[in-house]
Amino acid sequence: MARIQAITVPKWGLTMTEGTVSEWLVEEGDTIAIGDPIMDMETSKIVNVVESIVAGTLRRKLAQPGDTLPVAALMGVVAEADVADAEIEAFIADYKIDDKVAVAPAGADAGGAAPAAAPEPAPAPADPAPAAAVSAATPAPAAETAGAPSVPEALKGGDDDSGVHATVHARRLAAELGVNLNNVNGSGRNGRVGVADIEQAIVAAGGSVAAKAPPQRIPEVNAAPVDDSKVPATSVARRLARSLGVNLHSCRPTGRHGKVCRYDVEAAHALASGASAPAAPTPEIAAETAPAVQAVPMSGMRRTIASRLQASKQTIPHYRVSMDIKLDALLALRKQINEGEPGVNVSVNDCVVKAVAMALVKCPEVNVQYDEATRSIQRFTDADISVAVAIADGLITPIVRAANTKTLGQISTEARDLATRARAGTLKADEFQGGSFSISNLGMFGVRQFDAIINPPQAAILAVAGGEQRMVVENGEPQVATVMTVSLSADHRVIDGAVAAQFLQVLKRFMETPSLMLV
Amino acid sequence: MSTSFDVIVVGGGPGGYVAAIRAAQLGLSTALVEKQHLGGICLNWGCIPTKALLQGAEVAHTLAHAADFGFTTGEVNFDLKRLVKHSRDVSARLAGGIGYLMNKNGITVVDGHARLSGKCRLAVQAAEKTLEYRADHIVLATGARPKPLPGIEPDGDRIWTYFEAMVPEALPRSLLVIGSGAIGVEFSSLYNDLGVDVTLVEVLDQLLPVEDKEVSAFARQQFERRGIKVHTSTRVTAIEKHADSVTCHLEGADGSTVAVTVERVILAAGIQGNVENIGLEEVGVETDRGFIVTDPWCRTNVAGLYAIGDVAGPPCLAHKASHEGVICIEKLAGVADVHPLDKGRVPGCTYCRPQVASVGMTEAQARAAGRPVNLGRFDLQANGRALAIGETAGFVKTVFDARSGELLGAHMIGPEVTEQIQGFGLAQSLEATEQDLARAVFAHPTLSEAMHESVLAALGRALHQ
Repeated sequence: MARIQAITVPKWGLTMTEGTVSEWLVEEGDTIAIGDPIMDMETSKIVNVVESIVAGTLRRKLAQPGDTLPVAALMGVVAEADVADAEIEAFIADYKIDDKVAVAPAGADAGGAAPAAAPEPAPAPADPAPAAAVSAATPAPAAETAGAPSVPEALKGGDDDSGVHATVHARRLAAELGVNLNNVNGSGRNGRVGVADIEQAIVAAGGSVAAKAPPQRIPEVNAAPVDDSKVPATSVARRLARSLGVNLHSCRPTGRHGKVCRYDVEAAHALASGASAPAAPTPEIAAETAPAVQAVPMSGMRRTIASRLQASKQTIPHYRVSMDIKLDALLALRKQINEGEPGVNVSVNDCVVKAVAMALVKCPEVNVQYDEATRSIQRFTDADISVAVAIADGLITPIVRAANTKTLGQISTEARDLATRARAGTLKADEFQGGSFSISNLGMFGVRQFDAIINPPQAAILAVAGGEQRMVVENGEPQVATVMTVSLSADHRVIDGAVAAQFLQVLKRFMETPSLMLV
Repeated sequence: MSTSFDVIVVGGGPGGYVAAIRAAQLGLSTALVEKQHLGGICLNWGCIPTKALLQGAEVAHTLAHAADFGFTTGEVNFDLKRLVKHSRDVSARLAGGIGYLMNKNGITVVDGHARLSGKCRLAVQAAEKTLEYRADHIVLATGARPKPLPGIEPDGDRIWTYFEAMVPEALPRSLLVIGSGAIGVEFSSLYNDLGVDVTLVEVLDQLLPVEDKEVSAFARQQFERRGIKVHTSTRVTAIEKHADSVTCHLEGADGSTVAVTVERVILAAGIQGNVENIGLEEVGVETDRGFIVTDPWCRTNVAGLYAIGDVAGPPCLAHKASHEGVICIEKLAGVADVHPLDKGRVPGCTYCRPQVASVGMTEAQARAAGRPVNLGRFDLQANGRALAIGETAGFVKTVFDARSGELLGAHMIGPEVTEQIQGFGLAQSLEATEQDLARAVFAHPTLSEAMHESVLAALGRALHQ
């Protein structure tokens, strides 16, 4: 054993690059043994105890509390008591970080693993798939180099497929690839759809299944982006593996019928966690409160709303164009539809969505997004309408996709479903991200007129107020009509005033003569 | 107070209040409309208060057999009013608990009678004023009520339904029960234990018609041993009401007739959905034989309208209603991995003595479905715990698919079987095979060991018989 040994910043997991000294737990001159706690260290993830992997007398404390040091940096020196100070100074002067990583001590409670240091790269788990081992070291790029599968659009759309008879694995694969199971013929027992059926359908429709879709979450050490849904495992094991980030391929199955069981997952996790630091819970910091004022921390959503709309208002040259629209014909049509067809319940807003979508197709100059980076205008063929929905502590804008191609009934069913799921928090990201135009409707609150802020990168938003009976003058005669005021906010960089006015004219025409929406 | 919600549930029974809680948990603004009692029939006039009464019957039975355990009881007095009060107290306490749950979950409770006034619209009438409410999703959970027979209308005096049978002023000397489903059988068992002369009439050919034939036959034998007169394949063709008695004319399948005169009649010949006066016609809701037609996600044919529980059709059981409530809400809220209710996996429990519990297919149903059947059966005579408590009447019968090992059905009769059936329910829903069940360790000494033995019997290796 060397007479002089280093205490260095340990490496607790692949992503750890540096650590911050919280507190020394020993003093210079103390005798320390292997495994003694010597320091509290904080990383971006956790606060953990550094255990000594060397024995002797602590001769120098080089790192001070608050210092942030790279992995393997020298923090202290341990030596026998009879080693001269000069020798220690020389050791410190000669110390280099290079190739010292291998002796970094492990965390005290790193998942209950043996305190052996894990050399880098992490040892490949006993894994039948070589690709898994490679990607264990470099998880992120692996999925990309493997190539994404290409799923033809023809397989994607369709009605709710949750009633389709399919195996669990097939359903999961379909969800991953965005395939609607209604579009796949099942060849299994009683027409059940299997994984092979989906793959076959994709190939038949001109797509490819060369690689699996990339996993949704960033895998831990062991969870290589290799689909393990086919590995036989008990339900408990599968769920535990997911939560621990363990790939079932890397587990040795010891259960009945060759199934991976709980113990196998725990064993694989323990094996891997020598190199993986357990995530620590984020400490909660109580907000300071003044006597009569309550400081309410902003939720993530609030902060997003705040920053996005502030940026929108500050950077986009907004202007507004308003128009009054008579609703009587549209209300009559709506009544006719709702009384005639039990399966739909069309709201005025559904009609607005439909009319806006059709008007956008007529006025493609308004159906645009502004790409600031390339200074270009992205013009859309279909009208993807973002509909603002108020939810607890904020709002969200789920999208009725290609509303120009949908019937009023379809729009109505979809809009209600999206609004409910927005409030229940079960929307998927692609259901509220994107959109070519927004509608904000405050009519239900009796609002007579308001203006909205553009939802970037979109270039226009329609503020819809409530319909109310008003006196209007027609051909010199006063008349009562149900009138609604809409206000279009547009981005002058890409939409000029005359274009916005024309769009409102077309919208007004569709809404006042709704039969035109049929042609 | 707001009159616009994401979800409004009509009916505060075990389907409705559970649906409301689930909706509130998912962050949806929710209201519940109830015209009478939170908790519905289940808590107020069904499952719960009958169990409280049946506990009285159990005490009567224990007292009758006290000598077996060395007790001399002497003269035993019984105050019916006290038992009925216990039953009502239990109901009141639980119904209060539902109110607390609604409050805790931020659910607006609206007292009154709700009626659909349009799609997504409800008119709620309370006292003399009517308020309009609107919701994107309206869930009907209006339940069911006793079905009258032609010519045998309940009058609340001599011809009772479960409402009157639950709160008797005095014990009748004799009683005739029409219908041997769970309700009829439970009241027969209760009143018999309390010393009433009971006659039970069933139009079908077995007691407890939905149960496995072996279980039904065993229950009948036990009932007859207790002095209950059981007539199956028998119809009540006419009744004559007298000053304080009723004469019932019974006709057997073979044409034989007999007249039975009793003090009271309990009509328990099935139930019908509460589909009237709730505005179904207003929006064109499809119904079938008195129940609302729904798809696997509890959706009706009308946009934004759902139906759960009894009003959506059999099996008319509280736990089925609750389960549908959760499925319905989770589906409309977009929760991932919602599964439709498999009506073949809804357990059924009857709290007569001995108790009856079952889940899945009967042997006859399994055979009719063309499944290769492998049966297991174990008698409680050989169960140590059953012997110790002096309740050895009963057995466990398991029906497996001989090819796949799937548990198709389980049928139990005996003490506390209602508490044990969910063991088989779990096995079914986890798709355990007979091998998996055989490998599970069952604690000793328990009644549930008979479940294990029944599985072993199906494998031809029961240990204690």
